[in-house]
Amino acid sequence: MSTGRRVTRKPDCPVETGSQVAIEFEGRQLPARAGEPLAAALLAAGVQVFGRSLKYHRPRGPYCLQGHCSGCLMRVDGIPNVRTCQTAVRAGMVVERQRGWPSASFDAFRALDWLSGQGIDHHSMFTSSAATNRLAARFVRRLSGFGELPAGEPRPPAPVERWQRQVVVVGGGAAGLQAARELHRRGVRSTLFERQEVAGGRLLDGSDSAGGDGQGSWARLAELHRQLEGSENLELLPGTTVVAVYPGDRLQVVAVQERRTLVVEAERLLLACGDYEQVRLFEGSDLPGVFAVRAFDRLFYLHGVIPGEPVVLCGDSPRLLRLAGDLVAAGVEVAALVSGATRPPLPAGEGAFPLVPGRLPVRASGGRWIERLEIAPAPSEPADGLFDCGCLVSEYPPAPAYELAHHAGCRVDFDSACGFRVVVDDGGRTSNAAVFAAGHCTGAMSLEQALEAGRRAATGMAESLSGGSGRED
Amino acid sequence: MGKVIVCRCEDVTLEDLRQAFAAGHRDLESLKRFTGLSTGFCQGKCCAAHAGRFLAELRGGDDMVCDPTRTRPLLHPTPAACFAAIASGEAPDQEDA
Amino acid sequence: MRDRAELVIIGGGVLGLSLAYHLARMGLGDIVVIEQGYLCFGASGRNGGGVRQQWSTEDHIRLARRSVAIYRRLAAETGFNIWFRQGGYLFLSRDAVAAATLERNVKLQNSLGLRTRLLSPAQARRLVDGLDTSGVELCAYNPDDGVLFPWPVVWGLARVATSLGVEINTFCRATAIDVQGGRIVKVVTDRGAVATSRVVNAAGGWSSQVARLAGVELPNRPYRHEILVSEPLKPFLEPMVCDLADGTYFSQTMRGEICGGLSDPLEHSSLNTSSSLRFLSRMSASLLRLLPRLGGVKILRQWAGYYDETPDGNPVLGRTPGVEGFIQLNGFGGHGFMLAPAVGQIMAEWLLRRVREPLVERYGLERFSSGQLQRETLVIG
Repeated sequence: MSTGRRVTRKPDCPVETGSQVAIEFEGRQLPARAGEPLAAALLAAGVQVFGRSLKYHRPRGPYCLQGHCSGCLMRVDGIPNVRTCQTAVRAGMVVERQRGWPSASFDAFRALDWLSGQGIDHHSMFTSSAATNRLAARFVRRLSGFGELPAGEPRPPAPVERWQRQVVVVGGGAAGLQAARELHRRGVRSTLFERQEVAGGRLLDGSDSAGGDGQGSWARLAELHRQLEGSENLELLPGTTVVAVYPGDRLQVVAVQERRTLVVEAERLLLACGDYEQVRLFEGSDLPGVFAVRAFDRLFYLHGVIPGEPVVLCGDSPRLLRLAGDLVAAGVEVAALVSGATRPPLPAGEGAFPLVPGRLPVRASGGRWIERLEIAPAPSEPADGLFDCGCLVSEYPPAPAYELAHHAGCRVDFDSACGFRVVVDDGGRTSNAAVFAAGHCTGAMSLEQALEAGRRAATGMAESLSGGSGRED
Repeated sequence: MGKVIVCRCEDVTLEDLRQAFAAGHRDLESLKRFTGLSTGFCQGKCCAAHAGRFLAELRGGDDMVCDPTRTRPLLHPTPAACFAAIASGEAPDQEDA
Repeated sequence: MRDRAELVIIGGGVLGLSLAYHLARMGLGDIVVIEQGYLCFGASGRNGGGVRQQWSTEDHIRLARRSVAIYRRLAAETGFNIWFRQGGYLFLSRDAVAAATLERNVKLQNSLGLRTRLLSPAQARRLVDGLDTSGVELCAYNPDDGVLFPWPVVWGLARVATSLGVEINTFCRATAIDVQGGRIVKVVTDRGAVATSRVVNAAGGWSSQVARLAGVELPNRPYRHEILVSEPLKPFLEPMVCDLADGTYFSQTMRGEICGGLSDPLEHSSLNTSSSLRFLSRMSASLLRLLPRLGGVKILRQWAGYYDETPDGNPVLGRTPGVEGFIQLNGFGGHGFMLAPAVGQIMAEWLLRRVREPLVERYGLERFSSGQLQRETLVIG
């Protein structure tokens, strides 16, 4: 099994490559590309353990690469708990891991994990006597916490700007961009906040980029950008994270940029916040080296990083099959595609890798990184297959990002197929008349459906605005 | 058998959820408080759906999961400095999240 | 649900459960507790866990001292870790009047055996690295005050009480209190009725509503109180820091999070538990002002609970004139957690042994009509 390396990216990749620079990782110089996510650079350089977990000191690594999990947190330039997947590489940046004694790679407290079987009941341990309890509490306090206080000069209050906008769109993925495009077409001005520096969301996914007829995701993204470019109706702010929505007579949207905070009063809000990548739960599924599909997709297609080989893929979707085929074509060793379906679709390049139908992953093992994967006909049945595994791509339904809608008081329900989701009607209306939602924050759907939902929510919103802004141009 | 980690931030295992459920914590708010689920750095983005499925299975359907835990700002951990200069003068009777 | 009980407690928060716990341990386990939500639904599940003995009245100081003693052994008694950490409480005063109050309080606290001492701003800075004391006149510090995790206190009390015969019904709401001939006969809930001659109103923020079920008007009003928590960091802050000027308080929990809140003079009475941008910004500004190093610390979550406030800042305890068997245990104004262990114990003794209890008499509901008010001034953190 080999650790991280680089492969050649597709020539039409929409993310540009920066110059070669060096970063300082715990006293070592590591090569990286300026502007790429720090986590990608670390994985490419073979870093396996990014941190250690709270109770059992299990190894932690990134699995979402989307800025929502806590697996990739490190201390960067003196700031604790920085999401390295959301931090762009700069020459000379100083990066350190935060937990683990004597080090994150070898952490003696991992023994707690091995000795504790199914888990430690932290409610009842050390309660035999008051004296023992007080002593234990001191010890536990030393072990708790992630990272030391920020170093250097205290961070001063960020400048704040107060804005008033008629329409705010949160999220520049398929649904959000399509909604902005529809609003623009109808002559409605909107302000779109996108957390990433490059808007696109799902449309950036390389495994959906295939299709020479302009139907591939990268072609669609380029087309949307073209349509929106220079639009006087769209105020597009990438690198802007919406962290809260406070409902009221006028919605207050709080958006944070690197150097300023925006408090935006909005008449209408269109939430297209997407979803959070998940992985299937099984024993050891939290090991570093287990990636959600879109996380792996971005690593491979956008950044050309293969975090480990051989790659095992688990799932049933056509895009996973395309991903496996593209990996093989790029010279990456693929151990197997394990599909829960009994009759999965045939791979494009038949024979390039084994296709294992009717099996699910049930146990991952390894010290600091996944090394082996066991599979079984069902989670409750004994394992009947074992793979050497340098990296696992685990497909599982993503969870809708319903939180901002919940802040705004919109109704949210539960669907086992995805998770909690924003409840909307055909026109993207939520239970709050000022708030619309579209795309994957409202539940599982295809890329096409997300685009269509964005268009419909924008239409519904335009119609709800007074003064005939619902007109078509 | 090793651990199945449901909440990575707080190291909450599937077994922890089972025991908490058996001890009477049968709604998400209560389960969250008892196990620490969803209270870590990611605030539930990686575990709320898994926990919802766990409850749906044991309680007999998606309808029985009811609401997620009350969602509180912030969506992402954000430095205090980003909010310190919002000299907000609005009266507290303004509706809040 | 039982249809008959010696005693019904409305409210499964720390006060109701502390009473149930102590009564059950003294031998009265025939109790039904009615909780409208899950355990920790109300203020008991929403507070910052501060437990201090620095008060301005003798009653409160004694109650708090006794409560701290109970908290020190509660984990061993209930088998539930409450992570009580005695890192002290540091009060900051910013004007001559507040400084004089601190001086007076410290004298009173010392006379009652507390180790509180006055500190200069420079001494306070040695206690809290990086504390900005500009404008601070005088500080008071008690090393034995501390913080704990509120939830396991509630679970621990509940578990022990249950094992001793107490029935706790969660997601159960009292809909009527049946009073006949001036005596309580029954409590009706949305899950059935319980015949009883004694009902304890330990409903915290809802205590006025519950009292009205028996036709009783309480002077208590609930006020929202907001609070927030940061990312967990390695230990760097020992005491709870409280600024008397604006009511800001914050400490570091056992998990390493900075947890704190502040008062809002504009808040009006409501059971609203939503979160506001106003609080987020005011609290952030306060944190940066007091400890500039916190500027880069990330805030994880904000939430809200309520203070069940009375006109004189003291709780309402004991009998209710006109309704035999209706017992009040409410109005703790955001300090229920600090006083609940001792108050529960005292009330249990009072209920079981039917002895005269001066405290219960002083804090009786009659005082609001007779004008015998004794003001508690340290209503913070």
